Amino acid sequence: METEAAQQQAPHPPAGLGELFWGFFTIGARAFGGVLPWAHRVMVEERRWLAPAEFAEILALCQFLPGPNVGNMSIVLGRRWCGLPGALSAFLGLMALPFCWVLALAMLYAEHASNPVVRTVVTSVGVAAAGLFIGTALKLGRPLARKPAGVALVLACFAAVGLARVSLLAVLPVAAVLALLASRRGWL
Amino acid sequence: MLELAAYFALLSLVAVGGIAPVMPEMQRVVVEAKGWMEAEEFTQLFAVSQAAPGPNVLITSLIGWKVAGIAGALLALAAFCLPAAVLAWGVGSLWDRFRDAPWRKVTQRALVPVTVGLILAGGYVLATPAGLDWKNALIAGASAAALYLTKLNPLWILAGGAIAGAVLYS
Repeated sequence: METEAAQQQAPHPPAGLGELFWGFFTIGARAFGGVLPWAHRVMVEERRWLAPAEFAEILALCQFLPGPNVGNMSIVLGRRWCGLPGALSAFLGLMALPFCWVLALAMLYAEHASNPVVRTVVTSVGVAAAGLFIGTALKLGRPLARKPAGVALVLACFAAVGLARVSLLAVLPVAAVLALLASRRGWL
Repeated sequence: MLELAAYFALLSLVAVGGIAPVMPEMQRVVVEAKGWMEAEEFTQLFAVSQAAPGPNVLITSLIGWKVAGIAGALLALAAFCLPAAVLAWGVGSLWDRFRDAPWRKVTQRALVPVTVGLILAGGYVLATPAGLDWKNALIAGASAAALYLTKLNPLWILAGGAIAGAVLYS
């Protein structure tokens, strides 16, 4: 028998388009330093739209698909709950405020870009953010460290795209075929 | 601008794992192939997009804004998101069927080294807007190490980059 408390705990989809929009709006509005933790916080912990396992599953799907992960999530979930209007509300809710913020910040910067100190500091922030990419790649790549085929693929992709500046559209088909072959043989 | 939108739409479909793996390609096209902006300016826009709250795909709207104003910002973001969104729309309902398929796991494992190599390339390209120099290498290296070794909020690491830049280049 389900107790009242358990019923309160059970996840329930958003009541309508308004709730869907505002839920994703709060995700976007608070997403300092990454959207994903906030997506989890809002949808699983605060609004209880999803059980933790459902969230993980949707995330796995959205990471498997190309495109922005949380953006895809808004489409998949919005559709599931409210069809096309739902997908649109969730996506627009997610992007609306961050879009305005990022443009406002860029305009503010453009106004002060003639100041060499400002320019240097902003470039350094960009360089630090690039360092975050490198740190992320190291974290993601750690399981590959003992797999020679994995290390070789990482280095080859890095050299082709980062050093030789070959177009991704040329590198990707080759890299994908090699990676799939290696993966099928259990080398990755 | 339409050229940029068409290119972003194409990149949208190969951006497996989000925007990070296609960053080096965007930089190559915008800076090297088309000359729409300098490498340093690209790194600065990247800084703005990473420091602002929200999905990091918003770098696309900043590139669009630089090339063609507010309309460009909207168009570039839409171009990068729409093809992937249509795919997500279509695949969302099929997911249950192939979630446990063996080929999915093979594909997922195959994606890891490619994604890692591309993100590394993006980090390298964005960290060297003026070619290799030791100050930028130091900032990027320290921030990579801070992310890898500590649980610091990335925003603090970016703030550290700002301070390091102000000190090193003063």
